[in-house]
Parts: sequence; C-alpha cells; structure tokens
Amino acid sequence: MAQYQNLFTSVQPVGPLHHGVDLPRGDEKRLGTPFLFHLLGRIGNAQIGPVYLGTLGVASLIFGIAAFNIIGLNMLASVDWNPIQMLRQLFWLALEPPAPAYGLSIPPLNQGGWWLITGSMLTVSILLWWTRTYRRARQLGLGTHVAWAYAAAIWLFLVCGFFRPVMMGSWSEAVPFGIFPHLDWTSAISLRYGNLFYNPFHALSIVFLYGSVLLFAMHGGTILAVSRYGGEREIEQIVDRGTASERAALFWRWTMGFNATMESIHRWAWWFAVLCPLVGGIGILLTGTVVDNWYLWSVKHHVVPAYPLVSPAVIDPAILGVKP
Amino acid sequence: MAMLSFERKYRVRGGTLFGGDLFDFWVGPFYVGFFGITTMFFALSGTMMILWGAAMGPTWNVWQINIAPPDIAYGLRFAPMMEGGLWQLITVCAIGSFVSWALREVEICRKLGMGLHVPVAFGMAILAYVSLQVIRPVLMGAWGHAFPYGIYSHLDWVSNTAYQYLHFHYNPWHMIAVTLFFATVLALSMHGGLVLSATNPGKGKVVKSPEHEDTFFRDLIGYSVGTLGIHRLGLFLALAGVWFGIVCIVVSGPFWTGAWPEWWGWWLNMPIWRT
Amino acid sequence: MKNFFKVPLLLIAPMVLGLLSGCERPPIETVQTGFRGTGMEQIYNPRTLLKQAALNQAPEAAEAASSDGPKASEVYKNVQVLGDLSVSQFNRHMAAITQWVSPDAGCAYCHNVQNFADDGKYTKVVARRMIQMTQRVNQDWKTHVAETGVTCYTCHRGNNIPTNVWFAPKDREYAGGALGDLAGQNIASTQAGLSSLPFDPFTPYLKDAAAIRVNGNEAMAGIGKSANRASIKQTEHTYSLMLHMSESLGVNCTYCHNTRNFQSWEESRPQRVTSWYGIRMARDLNNDYMTPLTKTFPPERLGPKGDVAKVNCTTCHQGAYKPLYGAPMAKNFPELQALAKP
Repeated sequence: MAQYQNLFTSVQPVGPLHHGVDLPRGDEKRLGTPFLFHLLGRIGNAQIGPVYLGTLGVASLIFGIAAFNIIGLNMLASVDWNPIQMLRQLFWLALEPPAPAYGLSIPPLNQGGWWLITGSMLTVSILLWWTRTYRRARQLGLGTHVAWAYAAAIWLFLVCGFFRPVMMGSWSEAVPFGIFPHLDWTSAISLRYGNLFYNPFHALSIVFLYGSVLLFAMHGGTILAVSRYGGEREIEQIVDRGTASERAALFWRWTMGFNATMESIHRWAWWFAVLCPLVGGIGILLTGTVVDNWYLWSVKHHVVPAYPLVSPAVIDPAILGVKP
Repeated sequence: MAMLSFERKYRVRGGTLFGGDLFDFWVGPFYVGFFGITTMFFALSGTMMILWGAAMGPTWNVWQINIAPPDIAYGLRFAPMMEGGLWQLITVCAIGSFVSWALREVEICRKLGMGLHVPVAFGMAILAYVSLQVIRPVLMGAWGHAFPYGIYSHLDWVSNTAYQYLHFHYNPWHMIAVTLFFATVLALSMHGGLVLSATNPGKGKVVKSPEHEDTFFRDLIGYSVGTLGIHRLGLFLALAGVWFGIVCIVVSGPFWTGAWPEWWGWWLNMPIWRT
Repeated sequence: MKNFFKVPLLLIAPMVLGLLSGCERPPIETVQTGFRGTGMEQIYNPRTLLKQAALNQAPEAAEAASSDGPKASEVYKNVQVLGDLSVSQFNRHMAAITQWVSPDAGCAYCHNVQNFADDGKYTKVVARRMIQMTQRVNQDWKTHVAETGVTCYTCHRGNNIPTNVWFAPKDREYAGGALGDLAGQNIASTQAGLSSLPFDPFTPYLKDAAAIRVNGNEAMAGIGKSANRASIKQTEHTYSLMLHMSESLGVNCTYCHNTRNFQSWEESRPQRVTSWYGIRMARDLNNDYMTPLTKTFPPERLGPKGDVAKVNCTTCHQGAYKPLYGAPMAKNFPELQALAKP
C-alpha cells in the first residue's frame, strides 16, 4: 500500500494570515498585505509577505540595483545595444575588471572604472544587507547566528574581489561580473597557481561543501522521517524533547554509533556551512600572495602521488633552443 | 553498554527485512541486523584489500597511496590483481557495503517507526558512486574510465577527466549541480542559524517561537518557507544537486565527446538570432 | 499518485531536452594516454570520425614525371621558383597546384592565359611565395611536420582561400567608448571555441612572440625580481590559445599534458614538444611569408583592419590530430621538400 511520505502538503488549512511578531518601537511598519500562494503551500508556508522595508533595506536595495544596472548597461553596450544579442549572448557577456597595467590605480571608466564602481556599490549593498540581517534579528529578540553565517559568505566575496587583489597590487586579479566569464576566472586562477586541487584550504573547503550537502540531506531526511511525530517543531523539541527527537537521535546512534541532539545538529549544520566559505576564503587569500604554485607546494610537503611514466622522457625544447 | 536515558523503551524486536530475529540485536550503540553483518563483511574485506594494495605499492604515505583501475585496454574484463584487478574487487566491496548500509538504515527506520527518507537520500549518493564507477565505465566500454582510490590521485583523475572536455565549467548540468550545491550550503547556514537564533537569543532573553522564525524571514525577504518546508527544501536541494552531478558526468563521454563550450552552439545558432 | 511523478519529471524533463539538443550517443572510442586511472584519455565519437575521415582525404597524386629534358627555367619565361624541375615535372606540379587551389577557375586563377609568364594577377605572385613557404615548412620545420610534410592542399583543400585563416578582429567600441568595453573577451566567439575567453589568441602568440607560460618554478611566491608576474588575465589568454589548439587537432588537454601539473615537461607527452615547434612555425610563416604579402593582396582579401590572412593551427589541421590524418602527400612532390639553394 502506498504510504504518504510528507513530501508535499496535500491538505492546506487556511486561517488568518500572520502579520508578524510585534516589533519594538523605533521600527517601521511592515510593508504589503500578506497573501496566500497555494502552490507554494504544497511545499512550505503559503503566505507571502509582509516584508520589512526599513532604512537599511532601502539603502541596500538602492546600491544593489544600481550595481545590477551598471552591469546590465555595460553588457548591453558591449553588444551595440542590441537587445536580441543581449539575450542571445547573455551568459558570455561581462563587466570586466581593469587590465593589469593599471595596478591599484583608478582606471578610466570604460577600462575597468565601471567595474570598480560596481564592485564598491555591490559591497556597500551587501554590507548594508548584513546590517539588516543583524538588526532584524536583534529587533525580534533573536540571536544573530544568521548574520554571522552571512558574514562568512561576505568574507569570501571580499577576499575574491577586494582583499586579494589589493594584496596582489592589481584590480585585474578580481572576478569579472558575468556568468561564463566568472567561470573562466575560476579556471584561470587554478591554471595560474599550479592546480587549486593541491591547495589544502581549497580541499578542506570542498570537504565542508560536500559535507553540507550530506548534512542537509541527512537532517532534512531525518526530520521528514519523524514529521509524523512533530519533528519539524524543532524549537519545541529542543526545550522539551519528544519522541520525534528521540527516534531521530536513536536512528543515527544505531546507524553510526553516535548522534546529535535536536539543537546540536543545527550547530553541526551552521559550522559546516560557515566553514566552507571561511576556509575557502583563506585558501584564495594565500594564493599568489604566499604560494605561487600549489602543486609544487604539495611536492614540498610530500603529498603528491607518483605515477609510472608511460611516455618517453620529454625535455623542455626551450632549453634546447629554437630550430632552425 | 550505556544507553541514552530514554533508549531502552525503543529497543524492541521487529522491522527487519531479512533474517528475522537472528541478527536483531545491538553491539554497543550499533544496531547489527543481517545487513550489519554484510556491511562488516564487505567493509572489512574492502579495507583489507586497500591495505594490501598499499603494502604492494611504493608508499604508506596516506596522501599518496593509490589503487588504480585497469588500463582501458582490458575493456570490461577482469584484470590481473596487480594491474587493476584489486581495484575491481575493492569496488565490488564498496558497493556491497554501501548497499548493505542503506538496507540496514531501512531496518532501523522500520524498527523506530520512521519514514525511509534517510536511506532513500543515501541511495542518491550510492547512485552517484555507482554512476561514476560502473554505469559510465560500462557505457564507455572499460573499467579504466573510473576514478582511482587515493586521496590526491582521485583529484588528478577529476582534473584530467574534466580537461578532456577542455572547459568543464561550461557543462550545463554541472552548472546546475554547482548552483544547487551552493544553494544547499546557503540554505543550511540559514536554517542552522535560524533555529539557533531562536533557541539561543542571548543572555537573559527568553527562547523564541516558530512565529519569530517566520517573522524574521518574512521581514528580511518577504517569505518564510516554514519549519516543515525548510526540511523538504534542504533535502530537495541536496538530492537535486547530487542528481545533476550524476547527470553531468554520465553525459560526459557517452553522450558528449566534444568540448563543453561547443555544446552551447545550439543556443547561439538558433535561426531566430544566429549571426 | 500524481504527486509521485512530479519531482522525477521536473528533474528528467530538462535532462531529456538537453540531451535532444544536439548530443551524441554511445558507443564511443577512447585512447588512454597516461597511466591507468589518471584520466588522461582521448575521446572520439566513431560516427563523427568516419565523417571527418571522409572529408580529410588526400587526393591521388599523378604519377611522377620524368626528370629528363631541359629545365623549366630554360623553356618557360619568368620562372623564379621550381626552375630546376624538368618541363614535365614542372607541368605536373602546375596541374597539382590547380587541383589543390583552384580546381574550378583552373590555370586562369593565377595566369594570364594569353601569356603564362605575366605576373599581372596577384594570385601568381602570392602562389610563388607560398611555394617557397611550403618548401620552408618541409625543410626547416621537420621538428613539427617530421617526414609527413605539407603541400598546398594541406591548407587549401581545393579552395582558393583556406577555410580557416585568421585576421585581427575589428575594434569593437560602442556607446562612444563610454561603456561596454569588451577587454578582448566576453562575447561568444568561434575563435574562443564558443567560450567567453579572449577572442584573439592568435595575434599575441602566433604572430607576436608573447610569453605563453604563466606558471613559475617555485612553490612560494617570490619577491622582487624573482616574482612570477603573470596575471590571471594573462592566463586566460594562454587558455584561449590552448582551447584553439585542442579544437584544431580534435584532441583534449590530456593529449599533451597531465593536467595536475600543466607546466611540467617531465609529466607531459612528446606531442607537447611537437606543438611547441608548431607555435614557432606558425609565427615564422605569419611574419616571414604572410605579413610581407599584405600589399600584394587586393583589399577584399584583407581583414577588417587591413591585415593579411594568417595561419593558425586549424589552417592545416582542420580538426585532425595530423593534417589529413597523416597522409604523406609531400613525398610525392620532392620539389616541395626543400628551398632552392641561393
């Protein structure tokens, strides 16, 4: 007999919409009338809105939209204002950082100046948004864990776009704004610095990336598996352990010999997710500034496996001189 | 062996798939079951073979140990032990132990009256392994296409396999998979952060409610997926990421032999806008 | 039960659509080029290879002509190259050139048929220089072409102009130069293999002698004079050249390199040495043969910036790891094997 797996909500009770926990004085009123979106309700909450739009949020949006528009207009200009070509080549287009010759100086607008402006505005937007995540939590009497997790992501963003280029003395080292171009950058930095797979921080960051995917599959699966006991009511289960948490814990204890608690699993989650960009950012920051060739670094540290040669020995022809 | 304070009442018989009461017991905190036995068999054999392979190799340096698949010339045949046969046996043991582990998880779920979401999710990870080491090599006609067992050597395989297609980042399924992976990390950090922020509001403050959690995200971005929804979303993002990862590598070789940037030609050359 | 199919459908549908959009199918051929398990392999679609092999056949050479009798330079007027051939050898060669370069237009493509000696058509002047270029390749660039060598057909393949030549790209400046600088990349270009990498890897590396290498020989970043100053952007230019070379030969990066350590010659294959010489050969041909011919060509044969057509890897290779899959055409035309002694 087919069993309901609680993957989609089949019956959606509809009640009065929630206008949010009261905010302390000094905060704005929330924006928008909340409404229900039935299809969304099959997966999670159906309610959309209201949103809080305070000074920080508005400011962040202004800077963010400005940055987005500068990128878009430059992309459109690069295809001679042809909107069809803009759509056709969208993934290839970009706003490129300045050439290496400019170092850290401010280049002409069209030779990287726009990139610099965009990067600054986007950074301001992101930092304002960070402040918003901090403030909203504080105003609701919550801890600031979400904000600090976001800070780890901002760390990686700033390493790639600001700290490392400054330490390398060249804006040109930073990432272009564009879909395929930023992927070209990723390949190029690995090619330039001797294969980033041999950067131990990069490897550790990937451990936390895959580990996060593993953990969310485990945690999501576990909670769904005990949702028949109210497992998704995690706060309640944390302060007053019920059979959901008990079964969830015992599943893992019996499977692998140890288990988390309903609260501590969220600490595992937070740390794995945060350590991915945190450690990754360190790895990028060290690349080119401290280490020029990660493969050779790894050879020095005796971790590189040896393979038997299958081709005849090859000598660098540059040493032999050019023919004729 | 000490149990958790509430554990005793859950240690009941039943839920087994195979073997009835014969293996329905615990060793310490570990549940055994028939599939616990098969897991131990495959895992121990596989580990012994890895250790033996390392002993036959040039080094005990854990970073450098490498057990390689056979040459492509052997096709789908069984190769001599020292020429990749050992790799083949280890792979059989790996699949045996992974599947045993999943089935053992099923038995544990049944015993605890839980849904089977976790072993099903693990099944996706097993599918990823089997796709890389069995399905794709079979489609390409040789075991030699699979990755070697070694910490850095398997990364050399990833690098070379990716560069077979000149610029693997342009593989559209890879792009989707990477996006889903990063989305999973993002969602995990948000979920972990949110729950901790409600239960750890700071010194002297009272623990908050799911209404606070929902309000936080509605205030922030206008929508909160909710306590049940986030677990569905997280499971989906994680499994979809792995699924598209499977697709991206199974397609590379059997269904696409060229450079991945060239694949985008169909989009660029559509009659409505080709230049 | 309806819900059951939703998720798999959402996942499978895009995959199917993607597969339908011009993908291939097994079985495929693979050639291992490194130690087992390293992933160094060449991958071929046998159906594509069959088609390509059919398109890359060398034409039959006419039987060798006799070297008896007077020399061509004694009988014909204004013979500046190939003069030491006998008349029948010379005529055989002319017939071959016609087949290789102008099968439709025939002799009239280069010659004034009222006066074969006349140099009025630019094509004759160019062809003369190109015969010397071919001899140069076969004599002095054995490091690249070995004993297989080349003939006019290797590039021309029966066309007046080889299908794969390159010009310097036209300057793209829009918005009055206020916005939208491409910085030499970031559009979809066939030269960059449909990637967004730099779209002119030819000028710096196959005409000029810009440094291709970007890796240093030290693990740690150097300071001052010993610092490796190559930038990420420079690496993208090298990458674009490498993409071109791979596509031209129908091979992938592992044909020459072990990608775990691209720069190491010890871990590379001998093909990389051949390629190194190929790059120098292309520079030689472009600078010593093609560029000096710029004024000889009429404007319609020049590029958007007025430069002459130049060679890159695709010009000869056209998707094959060896042009014409290694068919040794040149051995049937010994007159193309060496430059005339001065």
